[in-house]
Amino acid sequence: MFIEFLRLAGQNVLHRKLRSILAVLGVLIGIMAIVILISFGLSLKGLMTGQVSKVFGVDTFVIMDQDVMSRSHSGGMKEFGLNLGTLKGVEGVKTVAAIRQRTAFVEGGTNAEGTPQQGFMPVMGLSPELLTDFTAFTGDLMFEDGGRQITEADVDAAVLRRELADRLGVNLGDRILIAGEKSNEITATVIGILAASDEKEEKQGFGASMGSSTADTIYIPYATMDRLWPEGNDFLVTVVRILPGYEVDDVADRAETALKAEGSRVSAVTSGDITNVIDQMMSYINIFLGALAGISLLVGGVGVMNTMFTSVLERTKDIGVMKAVGAKNRHVMAIFLVESGLIGFLGGVIGTAVGLGITALGCFFINTFAGLPQGVAFPFVASPTLIVTTLLGAFALGAVSGLWPARRGSRMPVVDALRYE
Amino acid sequence: MSLLDLKNITKDYPLGQTVVHAVRGLDLSIEKGEIVAIMGPSGSGKSTLMHVLGALDTPTTGTASLEGHNLQELGENELVTLRGRKVGFVFQTFNLIQALTAQQNVELPMTFLGVKKSARAERARALLEKVGLGDRMEHRPNELSGGERQRVAIARALANNPEIILADEPTGNLDSETGATILELLKRLSVDEGKTMILITHDPDAAAIAGRIIRLRDGRIVEEARHVH
Repeated sequence: MFIEFLRLAGQNVLHRKLRSILAVLGVLIGIMAIVILISFGLSLKGLMTGQVSKVFGVDTFVIMDQDVMSRSHSGGMKEFGLNLGTLKGVEGVKTVAAIRQRTAFVEGGTNAEGTPQQGFMPVMGLSPELLTDFTAFTGDLMFEDGGRQITEADVDAAVLRRELADRLGVNLGDRILIAGEKSNEITATVIGILAASDEKEEKQGFGASMGSSTADTIYIPYATMDRLWPEGNDFLVTVVRILPGYEVDDVADRAETALKAEGSRVSAVTSGDITNVIDQMMSYINIFLGALAGISLLVGGVGVMNTMFTSVLERTKDIGVMKAVGAKNRHVMAIFLVESGLIGFLGGVIGTAVGLGITALGCFFINTFAGLPQGVAFPFVASPTLIVTTLLGAFALGAVSGLWPARRGSRMPVVDALRYE
Repeated sequence: MSLLDLKNITKDYPLGQTVVHAVRGLDLSIEKGEIVAIMGPSGSGKSTLMHVLGALDTPTTGTASLEGHNLQELGENELVTLRGRKVGFVFQTFNLIQALTAQQNVELPMTFLGVKKSARAERARALLEKVGLGDRMEHRPNELSGGERQRVAIARALANNPEIILADEPTGNLDSETGATILELLKRLSVDEGKTMILITHDPDAAAIAGRIIRLRDGRIVEEARHVH
């Protein structure tokens, strides 16, 4: 009998086209908002996890200050101390690449008045393994003509960004003085200048993966860093690649345990850990966005309810006739519920389709015109779960909104309903 | 046992602060196959009597039984089922569902009784042929004339093959010529199909097809006359 009621409901919906369209529109807008917001959320998540897996791969994890991944952490990245030898000795570890960071007194060239350009700025030592084995970590760097990345063979070489080069008054081939601990100091040759940052280049360099500002940083070889500051308890991050045949989570656990046993306050972070954090963060964002969209859906539901009340009132006589010819209360109730559910479902189908369309278009425009870095794409995600849930939800919204009007209609005494003009 | 048996029934309605005594102690028996006309001025209790005869409503006091079923003892759903199977209604204002085609309107009573789609469609088409609307089955009520609409309503009334056809002013909204053909059709069908027909009417022409005419006034039967055709 459901099919009959569906047909009856469909005919009623079609019979009152304009009002049905308006009610459908109310649901449609709400569903569309939800689909767009959640789909963009999923795209964002896809973008982020995509980047994470690109940098990490399945065989890599990083050692970080243990507070970085915790929820209470609010500051930037911290430095930490660890023994690289211990890390290299952990079973399953293949390569270890470290980045050390210190703040140093730096002196470059002189300005027009002959005043030396100097100041304190962060200096990062990149271990040779980072440059050979973890190229994804440094990303594609845009060097100005003649410039190049640090290699294993370099000694007393430095790479810096155009803005910093201008401030220090140096150019390719010039020398800068970097003062380290006690009386350690070196004169490094500038071998590469990273192109001036605009929006696009902002995301370049080592920091692109790590999210910290790189504009002021001077990059030097790891060995040079060791000469300036012999004690290696100033790691910014340490990247570890595992041997084939090992599980990254197992090796990461062993490494963390070994380092903690030596008193290093560190945490081994795998791509899974980061993905979990992203997931958690995205779920909060989605709840928030969903709640916003839910408000518009609620308005849509009220619209359906209003339409159904009008429909019940308008068809009071029909209710009387149907009851006279043998319709029970539950039949009348079902007819109106199916009708309101149908309005909801129609709104859901169209809203989902339009919402996905807008999201796809949005992703296309972002990928085409937003100037994302090379190789980074905003993926369009059409989640089957989302689609099924919104369709069922829309039908339920319609039916629930119709519940009260349908109940009222079904309980109308047949004699009163027949008399209604 | 009579098909319909009313014994000393009364029906009171609350109307604002007062109570309307629409029917005040009425006895009536209708036998199977009879054609009965119930006449009377407005407010005489015709409609109320029709509601009780059609199992749409139960009396305040007294007993009303249809084929031996005491209406007061039936639950609401049982009353609906009894009505759906035993009574076919024809109304003054046709009361077709506007959103449905003629055939779908005729199928409706069978739908609520759970008759299968194919059987329903077959019966609906046969009935529409019988009332002369074989070429109007897919039309909606607003595409039909008044007389055609009333024919659809008559076909609908016959859908579940009921014992009783209850026609409330069936010619009230029709011109006299169309009214006459509708009356002719009703009479022919009730004789052919052996139906009991109860006509509620103002119209003496309509009452003329009846074998018995009952006149009401102030909720009581004031005159009962038998017609021999």
